[in-house]
Amino acid sequence: MLEALAQNLVYGILIGALYGLAAVGLSLVFGVTKFLNVSHGELLMLGGYASFWLFALWKVDPFISLPAAIIFLLVAGVVFYKLLFGRMVKLAEGDKIQNTLLVGFGLSLILQNLALQFWTADTRSITTAYSGAVFSFAGVRFPLVRVASLVIAFVLIVALQLFLRRTYTGKALRATVENWEAATLMGIDIQRVYLLSFVMGAALAGVAGALVAVGYSIEPAMGMSWTLKSLVVMVLGGLGSITGTFVGGIILGVTESATGFFLSLTYREVVGLVLFLLVLVFRPQGLFGVKEG
Amino acid sequence: MLKIENINAFYGDLQALWGISFEVNEGELVALVGPNGAGKTTTLRVISGLLKPRAGNVRLDNRDLGKEDAHKIVELGISQVLEGGKVFTAMSVLENLELGAFVGRARKVRDETIKWVYHIFPRLEERKTQRAGTLSGGERQMLAIGRALMAKPKVLLLDEPSFGLAPILVEQMFEMITEINKQGVTVLLVEQNVRAALELTNRAYVIENGRIVGQGTGDDLLSFESIRSAYLGDCNA
Amino acid sequence: MSRTSPEQSRRIQIIFILLLIAILVALPQVIKSDSTINLAVYVLLFVSLASSWNILGGFSGQTNLGHAAFFGAGALTTRMLWLSGWNLFPSLLAGGLVAVALALLIGVPAFRLRGVYFAIGTLALSQILYITVGNMLPMISSLPAQDLAVYQLAPRYYLFLAIALFTIGAGYALINSRLGLGIMAVREEEDAAESLGVSALKHKLVALALSAFFGGLTGGAFAFYHVGYYPQLTFGPEWTFDALMMVYIGGMGTIVGPIIGAVFFVILRELLALNLAEMHLIVFGTLFILVVLFLPGGFMGVWGKISKALARQQ
Repeated sequence: MLEALAQNLVYGILIGALYGLAAVGLSLVFGVTKFLNVSHGELLMLGGYASFWLFALWKVDPFISLPAAIIFLLVAGVVFYKLLFGRMVKLAEGDKIQNTLLVGFGLSLILQNLALQFWTADTRSITTAYSGAVFSFAGVRFPLVRVASLVIAFVLIVALQLFLRRTYTGKALRATVENWEAATLMGIDIQRVYLLSFVMGAALAGVAGALVAVGYSIEPAMGMSWTLKSLVVMVLGGLGSITGTFVGGIILGVTESATGFFLSLTYREVVGLVLFLLVLVFRPQGLFGVKEG
Repeated sequence: MLKIENINAFYGDLQALWGISFEVNEGELVALVGPNGAGKTTTLRVISGLLKPRAGNVRLDNRDLGKEDAHKIVELGISQVLEGGKVFTAMSVLENLELGAFVGRARKVRDETIKWVYHIFPRLEERKTQRAGTLSGGERQMLAIGRALMAKPKVLLLDEPSFGLAPILVEQMFEMITEINKQGVTVLLVEQNVRAALELTNRAYVIENGRIVGQGTGDDLLSFESIRSAYLGDCNA
Repeated sequence: MSRTSPEQSRRIQIIFILLLIAILVALPQVIKSDSTINLAVYVLLFVSLASSWNILGGFSGQTNLGHAAFFGAGALTTRMLWLSGWNLFPSLLAGGLVAVALALLIGVPAFRLRGVYFAIGTLALSQILYITVGNMLPMISSLPAQDLAVYQLAPRYYLFLAIALFTIGAGYALINSRLGLGIMAVREEEDAAESLGVSALKHKLVALALSAFFGGLTGGAFAFYHVGYYPQLTFGPEWTFDALMMVYIGGMGTIVGPIIGAVFFVILRELLALNLAEMHLIVFGTLFILVVLFLPGGFMGVWGKISKALARQQ
């Protein structure tokens, strides 16, 4: 019983790290640009398929092909920004959130159905020679691939944190989060900052997707669930803190596992949403850090 | 040095500035005074490029700034301090100052400029590792001005630097502004505190309902009857 | 050309509408093909669903991403009561009211905050119900054999027609009422409306309740119409997203826009489905994005511009 509980906890942390990674991407974009990109989950899906096809067609190891998935999503990010999101930069904040949400929704519908057309509705996952490898500690099993994913997610978060704290560009991003007008008056080209944060968010989604493809499975319809999880984590984790958001992802992962363990597997998918609604009802001022209006 | 010609500016359909023209010469400390809502802040926003005018020109050293983006205008030598300072509260004082030197030309001489800013505002050096959000109102204003100086501007635009400060701090603040000006920075100051501004400056323009309605040296305007009664509260009638 | 006076053009409008209704009423008597009537049923269903979404989304400006929750709640309630022996109309009414109760549950907390919280909150709610209903009611819900034996399409069609007219009529009555003016004032400028004594929260809640009620009724009609389906189906996110896209493409905040959007959507889907399975969603997604970015008025907005330009030419 205790061992099974510990095992559940470990699985929760492992998937939670990917929730955290995905949510950090969404939160970075929202914080800087005030774009609520609800096609984030579809970007994640694209990353997953990029990794999957590189493996299926050319046998490229999914961990080695991670840079390729990142580049693919960087390019996709630039395209979607230039084509769609960049047009909404000048809107007032409320309209910006609303319209990016709508456009993101339209985009998610298109991407999801294109994936369905080209790649069928089949669930796919990458099975490498080492996919089954597991090491055990005190009777708890640690699947190698998922542990590696957690490490990669963690390293990326630390790297992102360093980038934001130490570099001029990172500081420019943080300044834009706080007050874009004041940032402009520092000589910061906020259009470039917006583009940069958007493609960084896309790249983070891409990595998360690739890791999902190797540790779990992917399908064209996965986007909405990942977008919702990212939204929930972003809200619960509190905006503006990268570490907080990442930890929030792990908390969601653990909560889901615990729900699966104590209640029923089928309600795993619901618990995060219920948590979100409870926060909305009882602590609305906690949402997104500040109360609007 | 800075020349504003026939500016018309709008917020949506609402016209805020009507044919504004004035000039600030190199090394001057010029004030733009007027009541609340007269268009003072709007004028500064037009100069710094945050608001694009529908008509008219802004020239810096004869270069037309009309087509330039706001961030480019900083690079060309105009820095604006927003009303209330608007420092980056989540960052340290030092990080705020570093961001002030974001543009390439200023970044190269950043360390020297920081020393200069600390010299003008010693308080900032004492507080350099502190989060800007923990500063007092006066300190934030100093940081905002110091941050703008980090860009090594030719022209510094100040929007209500005395706003919200205790009277004793207001006096100090104006002394510091005079000091900055003496060190070679041209200053355009927007103030509601008309008397203090006029005592401080070489010249001033009076703006009302989006139009320039008077100009002169500070002393001239101080003795101007209508100014006295309208803005200085010396109502003898 | 002779100019038509406003009064004349209003009379022409009324005649046109009555003629249209007459055609719709006569349709099942004239056309005997079930597949055509089924198509008409779907058109009417989406006219109601889109029009009901528009009452909140269009008139009060609140983006509801969980309309499926209301549609599903209406369908589930109506189906259960009706199959347990209630009469149809009380079952439908109960379905609408359950949807309203659900709407107020989410609306009261979410409206205290503005903008995006309501959108995400409603999406979360509908997904919770979608998953939960799927888990709790995994079996297909079929009409019992004795009902199937007497199943007739025409009454279903007339029910949908009645609900569509009812929904459209309610929307029309609303925007021409004081209440409706208040709702639209809140959409335009919430703070200004508040300062004039219009309670933003109250008006948004009224719009939400009406929107949920008609969404629930439409769901109830679906429950009466459909022979056998998984209860989860009616809570699926596509009900929300289809309705939302119809409204935007047709013209948000107008009476006619959602109708045009729905007709266009269903017919295009029918045409595309013949050879390109999910292609209609790609086409619609693209069209939707174009409308949001470039034509914030949809078809109705374009029509308005054209007719204005024509009027200027005369």
